[in-house]
Amino acid sequence: MKRSTVLTEKNRGTWATVFAGLILLPVVLSVLKPLWAAEPEVFLEDPDARWEACLRDAEYMRYRHMDLLKEARSDVIRSGLKGGITLAGCGDCHHNRDQFCDRCHEKASVSLDCWGCHYYLTESELQDLEEHDGGGE
Amino acid sequence: METSEIAMPAGPATEDGAAPSGIPYPSTNGRPVRVDPDLEFIRALRRSGGDSLKKCMQCGNCSAACPLSPHINPFPRKEMAWALWGMKDRLLTDPDVWLCHHCNDCSTNCPRQTRPGDVLGAVRQQCILHYAFPGFLAKWVSHPKYIPILLAIPAILLGLATRYREGIGQALGFSVPMGDSIVYSFAPMFPHWLLNSFFGLFSLLALMAAVIGVWRFARGLKQSRVWGENPEPVRGVFASLGSVLLKVVNHDRFTTCETDHSRSISHFFVFFGFIALTVVTLMVITGPFNPLIRGDFVYPFSLWSPWKLLANIGGLAVLSGVLLMIWERLYFGHLAGTSSYFDWLLVWSIFLVVASGFATEVLHLLRMAPHRHVAYFVHLVFVFGLLVYLPYSKFAHMLYRTTAMVLAERYGREAGKGAPS
Repeated sequence: MKRSTVLTEKNRGTWATVFAGLILLPVVLSVLKPLWAAEPEVFLEDPDARWEACLRDAEYMRYRHMDLLKEARSDVIRSGLKGGITLAGCGDCHHNRDQFCDRCHEKASVSLDCWGCHYYLTESELQDLEEHDGGGE
Repeated sequence: METSEIAMPAGPATEDGAAPSGIPYPSTNGRPVRVDPDLEFIRALRRSGGDSLKKCMQCGNCSAACPLSPHINPFPRKEMAWALWGMKDRLLTDPDVWLCHHCNDCSTNCPRQTRPGDVLGAVRQQCILHYAFPGFLAKWVSHPKYIPILLAIPAILLGLATRYREGIGQALGFSVPMGDSIVYSFAPMFPHWLLNSFFGLFSLLALMAAVIGVWRFARGLKQSRVWGENPEPVRGVFASLGSVLLKVVNHDRFTTCETDHSRSISHFFVFFGFIALTVVTLMVITGPFNPLIRGDFVYPFSLWSPWKLLANIGGLAVLSGVLLMIWERLYFGHLAGTSSYFDWLLVWSIFLVVASGFATEVLHLLRMAPHRHVAYFVHLVFVFGLLVYLPYSKFAHMLYRTTAMVLAERYGREAGKGAPS
């Protein structure tokens, strides 16, 4: 009977050490993380003074904003019902998308395909705009 | 069923009634033993993989071929004799059945095409059936006709808990923690407090049942006569446990096998994959207050979070290992041994848990609701099956085998060692 040479009496200790090391790696990384990484950022941007005018309460918006946007999209592109929620409306209070959208979504590996069509200012664009217009709206 | 010593004068081999020197087993002081075969036990063994049992002619090639057998009272020849005679009480208290890692070096070296490896596998199943508490659950797990009820229990319980989560949460004082981060998680449908308490409660019950079963088993093992007369421990309990755990991690026994050597690789992958998944699970359960995961505890986890990487790599390790097991059992049955329902149940349970887990992850990443919730529910039902029925399924081998190996280590019963002195 020909034996596999992948895992043998001689190398089993090495393999076990490698696998155990792989499992321990994230634990070690987490222990050492404060050495190079600062305290975790606070995720939410500070609530705008006008948050009370938001579509729903903060709890709903945190957990279900994606459902709201999806429904609005379906209303417009499938049923032709315009005049509901718009991303531009979000931008009225949450001024730039770096802070409001991208930071969390990047952290959570969620890629957004909104910006292919919709115009939502990033922080640098917002600053450019303010410099040119003298900050006036 | 019972073997009893008949009071008779000592045989010609001994003059003073002492065991003949050099023949440590059976220690009946040379007196004959009356055998009352347990026919139902023999039938059960033959049904669950030991169907070749009756071909055994007791030549002893198997014991000579086995690389894991100690030199003193070696196995599996004596187990084959006990199985032939239906000596249930000896087989169920025999630690050697669990020192066997089913590599089938014995089966391929049998001149009569008997398969001692498979017979010992069938004995191990009977062992779990015999010692597990409560016994009816072990019976349910060993028969395919009980599958619907085994799946219905977690499906109904978890379904009800999920359906009435808000009422239960209010009654118990739990709420979905909002935290300070925006999330897209399963929490609105399956809140953490609900999953932690649900699985915590049933895992605790399973653990208590497992402790009862293993305690009964250990008590049984101590009555075994393979240890010899009045055995003296050669190592402490904790030293034995440490040594056994190191052997388990290194796959010491599996890599010694010849015939089904690839079992060492598949088991290696499944074993380490499960440890990785357990580590991640513990991290996630303790997430809200565990300093190790602070800052990464945001849903969905970034795919580059070390924990997410570990979970995915661990899941892939289990998946590849279990697929290798299925492949071995399907196409290399002559090497891997006869696969009974009991064997297949564990292998497919593990496959279903991992496959449904990855399906949930993919649907989650695709943002497909309610599909992801359905997949997650199915996954949780399978996880319940694997975890909570652990003490009754072949998964219990991790407890029973470890117990037997620790006792063997403690009494100096080692592979290839212990020549009669």
